[in-house]
Amino acid sequence: MKMPAMVRRRMPTLLVLALVLATAGILQLTNANPAASQSLMLISRAASSDPGLDPNAAVWNESASIDVPLTAQQQAYPIGGGSIATISAKSLHRDGNLYVRVEWTDATQDDSTLKVENFSDAVALEFPASASATVPSICMGQVGAGVNIWQWRADSQVGHGDPSERYPNLWVERYPGDGPEFYTARAAGNPYALADGGPVQDLVAASFGNIGPAGSQTVQGQGVYQAGKWAVVFARPLNPGDASLTAFHETGTTDLAFAVWDGSLSERNGQKSVSAFVRIHIFPGDAGGSATPAWLIALGLLVGLSGLGVGLAVIGTRSGAK
Amino acid sequence: MAKVYNWQLGREMDYRFDNGNAKWQFAAVFNTNRCIACQTCTMACKTTWTFSPGQELMWWNNVETKPYGGYPQNWDVKVLDLQEKANPGGQVWDRSVPLTTRAPYGTFDGKTVFETADGLTKMVTGYTPTQEEWKAPNIHEDSATKFPKDGVQLPVHDGWFFYLQRICNHCTYPACLAACPRNAIYKREEDGIVLIDQGRCRGYRKCVDACPYKKSMYRPNTRTSEKCIGCFPRVEGSDPLTEGLPMETRCMTACIGKIRLQGLAKVDDAGLWVEDPTNPLYFLVHVEKVALPLYPQFGTQPNVYYIPPRWVPRDYLKQMFGPGVDHAIERYSNPSRELLAVLQLFRASQTIVFSFKIEKGPKIQELSLNGVVHEIYDDVVVGYDSQGREVVRVGVEEKVFERPQQFTMNTI
Repeated sequence: MKMPAMVRRRMPTLLVLALVLATAGILQLTNANPAASQSLMLISRAASSDPGLDPNAAVWNESASIDVPLTAQQQAYPIGGGSIATISAKSLHRDGNLYVRVEWTDATQDDSTLKVENFSDAVALEFPASASATVPSICMGQVGAGVNIWQWRADSQVGHGDPSERYPNLWVERYPGDGPEFYTARAAGNPYALADGGPVQDLVAASFGNIGPAGSQTVQGQGVYQAGKWAVVFARPLNPGDASLTAFHETGTTDLAFAVWDGSLSERNGQKSVSAFVRIHIFPGDAGGSATPAWLIALGLLVGLSGLGVGLAVIGTRSGAK
Repeated sequence: MAKVYNWQLGREMDYRFDNGNAKWQFAAVFNTNRCIACQTCTMACKTTWTFSPGQELMWWNNVETKPYGGYPQNWDVKVLDLQEKANPGGQVWDRSVPLTTRAPYGTFDGKTVFETADGLTKMVTGYTPTQEEWKAPNIHEDSATKFPKDGVQLPVHDGWFFYLQRICNHCTYPACLAACPRNAIYKREEDGIVLIDQGRCRGYRKCVDACPYKKSMYRPNTRTSEKCIGCFPRVEGSDPLTEGLPMETRCMTACIGKIRLQGLAKVDDAGLWVEDPTNPLYFLVHVEKVALPLYPQFGTQPNVYYIPPRWVPRDYLKQMFGPGVDHAIERYSNPSRELLAVLQLFRASQTIVFSFKIEKGPKIQELSLNGVVHEIYDDVVVGYDSQGREVVRVGVEEKVFERPQQFTMNTI
């Protein structure tokens, strides 16, 4: 069959269109998103099984990731960071719990703060506290618009017992007092100083320099270092039952920011790589797979857009033939 | 940055916060000439405050041997080096100005640790010593610069070392406080003691990095930093021994060499010491000017004052204690009647002496040293507590008592 002249004339355009559509389809199928910084919406769908705290759980394959660019913190003393360029994030929810999985590249595993010169790798998620009247400042919030921060620390996950646990040859003749009252910061009620405080701290802040523990500690987390990357899962009830913390609602959207610390560069406090606020949207759905697989959406999109392109081409051919 | 007045530098300087509101200032005088580095002060502190797991390398009080020793190692020359690099050739004093209580040592024309910092990444120029460097409270103990075959003699020894006794200086402008991004460090209004709030500290170790004297220390099992607390319960008077009266710290009162005297100096709104020549600290620091601050050029206005060692090369001492060294050594070597009397107050009482009075006594000796005739009088110095009550009375001549014969057979 001889190709109509109009189709021949438009063949380059059609090929470009088909190439663009095919590329879009492949990117969607492979979960790659080169335009992530322009479309930063983290979608949290219902998981088909309990994600738990294992960053390697298979159920995470059900979630598409977004890559969030990070930059150095330059708003407040001490400025610094910028060593980690990107953090990758996924989210799921199930049985009233929200799960967020983050992953970033870090050449060194820094999980000990035993020595004065050691600093820990860490990651934090920041949400506007539910009671915030306006969108808070991304820099630790402001009065009347506080933030809720979940921070996971590698050294906290390993635990930070007495030096004698790490240095088996350490010898001390006698500790005249080693009761809990002699661990001064713990005795002063500093939750950060607890040996068994867990790897994640639920924190609240409403300005620089006043971050403190949330009234209730309901965030759990676990990290794994593998192949030069940290992967960390956070889990918390969607509604923590505490007005000072962030509550999530199905079909709801809220803001979310990330911060990453590289311990090997002595990063701590404000010296960190930070993101801008992105959005996290929680799609409703029963547990057990009501979520539409990403590949099906992509295939539908591909077929639909290809059909549109062919249709336009045919219309163009006909009008050209007249 | 606020402008504050630092009288030790004789000028205003930049500081992160406005002048504090301390009404009294914890201060001490250490006589380096008398110290034998027995470390009794060190152990008194250790057994009182830092004997628990996680505090193994923590010595709030230490005595180190200069010039080679340091806890942590080389702390002072490292900070001096950072400052010199930040302001090459500029770390100098101007001694041509009138020497008043607002500028007793002249004017420091160089930059402080606050003024060389960028205020963005650091509020204070400093560094964080490694764990290795904190492992020896008196490394290079008794190491002299050399051992001359013919021995040594004053005024300056050819081979020398001396002991430097160190606690937190409870600075008027603390570097640790300026560096803390959490405002977890505070200076108390009632006595100027600087404390780290153990409930707020999150172990960022900015204070460890910032303190030029390296007296903020990291505790790994609580992941917080701790420091000398100036034995504040004793200074508050809560120890039963002094029945509610302010009492000197453990390191001071334990000193068997009687090199230490500690008290409180009254401070005015501008941060200057209120003139009070009857306060032994004021007398030694501002009247006799025999006791000098440690590395005043760092700019924190430290509050432990040292009578410099007589036998050490002056250029070394001037780097360490500022340009007042020549005057201080001259006064110590040729003491006035008053100074000789006040020096007897060192370790005469555990109760803090707020004021003194000298009762004149008879001449007991005449000495000729280097062609100068010295007359020694058995004056008596009387110390008074915070309530103006007499707590101690000591004469210049040390009394000798002989045991009565009836007790010679171990009957007591």
